[in-house]
Amino acid sequence: MTGAAERLDAQLTVAAPPVGRVKLSLNGVARSFGAVRALDRVDLSIAEGEFVTLIGPSGCGKSTLFNILAGLLEPDPGGTLLLDGAPAPSGSLLGRIAFMPQRDLLLPWRTVLDNAILAAEIQGQKKREARELARSMAAEFGLKGFENHYPQQLSGGMRQRVALMRTFLFDREVMLLDEPFGALDALTRALMQRWLLDLWSRYRRTILFITHDIDEAIFLGDRVTVMSARPGRITLDRTIPLPRPRQPSLLTAPEFMALKRELLEAVEEESLKAFAANGP
Amino acid sequence: MRLARRHLLATAGAALALPRLGQAQGLTKVTLRLKWLPQTQFAGFYLAAERGYYREAGLDLTINPGGPNLLTENLVASGNEQFGLSGGMDSVFSAREKGLPILCIGVAHQVTPFVFVAKADGPVKTLEDFRGRKATAWFTGAHLVLYGMLASRGIPRDALSITPQQVSVTPFVNGEVDVVAATWYNELNVLKARLGGVEKLKLFVAEDYGITVPRDTVIANTAFAQQNPRAVEAFLRASIRGWKASAAEPEAAVAAVMKIAPTIDRAHQEAMLPEALRLMQAGAAARHGLFAIDPAAVKKAHDFFVEHRVLAGPIDLAAAFQPQYLDAIPLPERLA
Amino acid sequence: MSWRTLPRLAAPLLLIALLWEGAVLGFGISPFYLPPLRQVLGAIAALWPAYQSAFLVTLAEATAGFAMGALVGIAGGIAFAHLPRLRRMVLPLFVVSQTVPVIAFGAIVVLWFGNTLAAKAAIAFYLTFFPVTVNTLAGIEAVDPRQVALLRSFGAGSRELLWKLRLPAALPRIFTALRLSAPLALAGAIVGEWFGATQGVGAMLLAALFNEQVVAIWAAILAAAAVGSALFALVALAERALVFWREEL
Repeated sequence: MTGAAERLDAQLTVAAPPVGRVKLSLNGVARSFGAVRALDRVDLSIAEGEFVTLIGPSGCGKSTLFNILAGLLEPDPGGTLLLDGAPAPSGSLLGRIAFMPQRDLLLPWRTVLDNAILAAEIQGQKKREARELARSMAAEFGLKGFENHYPQQLSGGMRQRVALMRTFLFDREVMLLDEPFGALDALTRALMQRWLLDLWSRYRRTILFITHDIDEAIFLGDRVTVMSARPGRITLDRTIPLPRPRQPSLLTAPEFMALKRELLEAVEEESLKAFAANGP
Repeated sequence: MRLARRHLLATAGAALALPRLGQAQGLTKVTLRLKWLPQTQFAGFYLAAERGYYREAGLDLTINPGGPNLLTENLVASGNEQFGLSGGMDSVFSAREKGLPILCIGVAHQVTPFVFVAKADGPVKTLEDFRGRKATAWFTGAHLVLYGMLASRGIPRDALSITPQQVSVTPFVNGEVDVVAATWYNELNVLKARLGGVEKLKLFVAEDYGITVPRDTVIANTAFAQQNPRAVEAFLRASIRGWKASAAEPEAAVAAVMKIAPTIDRAHQEAMLPEALRLMQAGAAARHGLFAIDPAAVKKAHDFFVEHRVLAGPIDLAAAFQPQYLDAIPLPERLA
Repeated sequence: MSWRTLPRLAAPLLLIALLWEGAVLGFGISPFYLPPLRQVLGAIAALWPAYQSAFLVTLAEATAGFAMGALVGIAGGIAFAHLPRLRRMVLPLFVVSQTVPVIAFGAIVVLWFGNTLAAKAAIAFYLTFFPVTVNTLAGIEAVDPRQVALLRSFGAGSRELLWKLRLPAALPRIFTALRLSAPLALAGAIVGEWFGATQGVGAMLLAALFNEQVVAIWAAILAAAAVGSALFALVALAERALVFWREEL
């Protein structure tokens, strides 16, 4: 391992605190667009180093929530949003939380390496140093040998890994991942999930992960939260007591199936509500 | 490749440097705007420039060609250009009538520089035969000369069709038009070449009908001329030198023009020069030298245009035509 | 340019040459309407230095105006994208400027600049800057808002957004405008030369036109085509270098 990678490793793992200190906390956070109430008093608290997954029907306001957390959208007055225990008004969140949108949104004129360091570069890091660090991490992200390729030369899974690497290199303690594997085929998706868990266990970032897929939510999360149909609010918050590291065989284990059944019912209920309200 | 690039840079650089500042000491920077594209109709000016006659006379002169979209009088009136070779007397009259600040300092072609041409084997043998025919003429003055010629024989102008003439003489060659206007130095040579000699043509000369409209007037910006009479005089002196040299060495004169416009037809240019010289040496020039302003001819042309209502009324000829710059040059120097 | 592009470029030229010669011979076209290509090429060869310098002069004029138009157009597009007030005030003026026919503009330019390279470049500029402005603006505004949101979440300010996202993302549209403007810049330079220029392809064309030298007219047309191709090639090379990431153009 090169010096740079060690440095990053140190940066990322040194302060792995005992799970329990609250990293991010939302209390009655709401948001309306004109007459439409997209988000209705969301209460959610995520501990440091915790992996929380969020599922909900389409159009339930997940993206609104993410945009608020990323600092791109102002919540309605009234609620509170605490980061590390301190109130965080919307503008102050820009650049504090690593945000990975649904699409990879890679820039086609930048190489894999230069896409990966985009956030670091914007943060003012020296390009050469950032590249060196990224180069040393390429293998870990399955991108070795592709450092100087352009995104359009890569497969969907690889592009997603570049986007993840960009998010990781944007060295923030909280990561918001918005359905990062939604567009991948089932096989690639399963590989990526295990790989993400592996990365997470090494770097211990606090992760909030949106997905449509209940299997994915259970397989990845320490907790699974369910969001209601619009107006969105957290209707279920379930701890997943499955041991880690998790193996693919877990997906067919009875305890997994039991959790899945429970969550499926909750989600279905919300989906039916959404269907009744908005149509498919 | 490298050579070509250097050439490109050199050319671009030279072109960029055109509005040169800080000329060689003592030279007055002036321009001459011609009435048309480079051809030996203007050979004397080009030869004088090439041989440095203007520099010797204290002028740093740039010759700018004319063209279909330019009016010399306007450019000289604007003050951006100091000298111009303009159209006929009528151009000077109408510019003065409009109040443009230009004045005439000399006249190049002492007689009407164009004729009207019919085919020798065609139906038009006399002016009387123009009746019922199709004629074209440039509506920049030539049509008035045609009206005058017809009037002198009592033929009403609506007895025939007279339409504006385009640049090409092809409609006449193809028989779509019976009578066409042609300058002695340019179109007539083209017609001779395309129809197989002068004997195939029947010419109608304005002077035979008592009309003379001298053309190719030399004009100057009024304010410039008033403030720099010596420069005007120097310009005329160097131009006369150039034209006399052109008469003595026509090959050198043609070469000077071909150097400026290398793609034009040499044979055509060689044929043009003697005709241009003949027009310049005709009439008053024989006694009063090149560029002479013949007050009688001016008056006659003026009255002709007033009579044909091209001019709303008489204009002040003494103010428009100022021969004093020419008169400052000793006569022997001016005589061809 | 690789060794493969040369035959790809040469083939259509050869085809045109064959069609030209074939048509003249086969249909017995009068040389007054279309002289044989041989004769036209012969005329160019006979006066090679003259055609070469005319080519270079017109290329310099067109390129100068084109480059200015591209710069002003890109800067204008950026400014309009960032300053809506400026856009409301100035963009209509840009539009109005384009309603003046270039010939009328030429007459004014020759009064302002005389017979200089600047005069021709000004007309080439006049025809170039507007399409580039409009396309730069459109290109910047067409940037994926999700990409803008992403970069903002990384803490990017408007300057970083411009350099790292908006401008590169607008490049394909900017180059589309440049490809369209290249022939316009040439037309501008040639029109500029019709107002009393001594040098250049346009001046040659005019002299040939009014002296009815059919061979010289066609020679000037070929020279103009060569200038146009050179300008287009410059744009294409720049595009290939800067917009390499776009799918095959």
